[in-house]
Amino acid sequence: MSELHTIQTNINGKPVEASVPGRLLLSDFIREELRLTGTHVGCEHGVCGACTILYDGLPSRSCLMLAVQADGHEIVTVEGLASNGELHPLQEAFKAKHGLQCGYCTPGFLMTLVPFLAEHPDPDEATVRDAISGNLCRCTGYQSIVDATLLAARQMREKAGAVDGSEATS
Amino acid sequence: MSTKTPTSFEEMDCAFPSSLAEALDLMADESTRGRPLAGGTDLMVQWESGVVNRPERSISVKGLPELMGISEAGDELVIGSGVTHMQLRSSDLVQKHVPSLAEAATTVGGFQIQTMGTVGGSVANASPAGDLAPSLLITEGRVVVANREREREIPVTEFWQGYRKIDLQPDELIIRFHLPKKSAESREYWRKLGPRRAQAISKVMGSCRGQVLDGQIQSFRVAIGSVAATCVRLTGIEEWLLNRPLNESTLAEVEKRVTEEVQPIDDIRSTADYRRWVTGRMVRGFLENWLEPA
Repeated sequence: MSELHTIQTNINGKPVEASVPGRLLLSDFIREELRLTGTHVGCEHGVCGACTILYDGLPSRSCLMLAVQADGHEIVTVEGLASNGELHPLQEAFKAKHGLQCGYCTPGFLMTLVPFLAEHPDPDEATVRDAISGNLCRCTGYQSIVDATLLAARQMREKAGAVDGSEATS
Repeated sequence: MSTKTPTSFEEMDCAFPSSLAEALDLMADESTRGRPLAGGTDLMVQWESGVVNRPERSISVKGLPELMGISEAGDELVIGSGVTHMQLRSSDLVQKHVPSLAEAATTVGGFQIQTMGTVGGSVANASPAGDLAPSLLITEGRVVVANREREREIPVTEFWQGYRKIDLQPDELIIRFHLPKKSAESREYWRKLGPRRAQAISKVMGSCRGQVLDGQIQSFRVAIGSVAATCVRLTGIEEWLLNRPLNESTLAEVEKRVTEEVQPIDDIRSTADYRRWVTGRMVRGFLENWLEPA
């Protein structure tokens, strides 16, 4: 029997303490123990990207990580994107541009693209496609996902410009 | 069929040392030793699929501070074994001094694999299709490994001893890589051929480092992956090219010689014939780059 490890982590801004077996996958911990089922599990071997979460701000595949690796680190899941009842601008853009069909891959795409947009406020289409190269959409709705990302980038730039008091450009 | 019963996932334990010294202490003793686990992007998949039996214990080395960092030491870059593919591709130092390595890192898996996977893990996994191997080989750098008592240096060219076989003792961990920088006059190129651009395992890939002066080849190193049990340097080709003029007759002859020098196999990803042909085209293509300004 493997011993239990006590972990202290932060999930979506809230401190979480738990006892977990060393072998428990982070994706299973998030879904089964914490009941945060927005993180989807697709291929379960690191190819499809549906289980993407943020690990200290970086997109990572939770199906290839152990829950113990969350100890002392910050995790954000798709449930952590909305704040005060308002969707993240990228979520709004996915809605507006039909960036999802069946929706299974959506949490993974969102969690890959949110930190990408923070680093690339004005990306071109090729850069967006490079960013999502680790996410598979079985409905093959990539064009709408790219469109949604470019729309979100524009809206976020405009909002930032408005806050700065400078004039927003198209 | 293996006679040993594989460890079930329920039985596997994982240790999380917080320093390199602590990790090496665990590795020193047979009763606490475990399979080193870095980013997990290869091992977790191999364990899950049953390709590799789960060990009874694994030792997480992910993020150990002593294994992180990219720095300069004279004519060399020093890269910690825990550096991720994402850090490699974003590093100004790597982009400038071993550019083919930065480029290779951008082609590993997708973003989520690049943020977790490490250079040490990729080297230890020792797949002949490991995308970082060619660029490491053409630097003629060194791998530094350590156990609790001492460090040991091995030329990169000798570290991969055979199919998935590396020069590492059971009590040792891979610590860092010393990679001679390319000179200002030399150039590096990287090329990967797979069924699609992202997330595909290579059919053939490779890197080269060379220098051409007044149309004459001054130096040329080339390493190709996925065509043998380990990534290989094409030393016969390298020697033949030395001091030759870079012209069509050299290019045609080198393409022919490469197809004769490599001995690839048929497998799930490609055929020996295709790989042989494509390797010739790839090396020719590398050299053609010098016909254009840098």
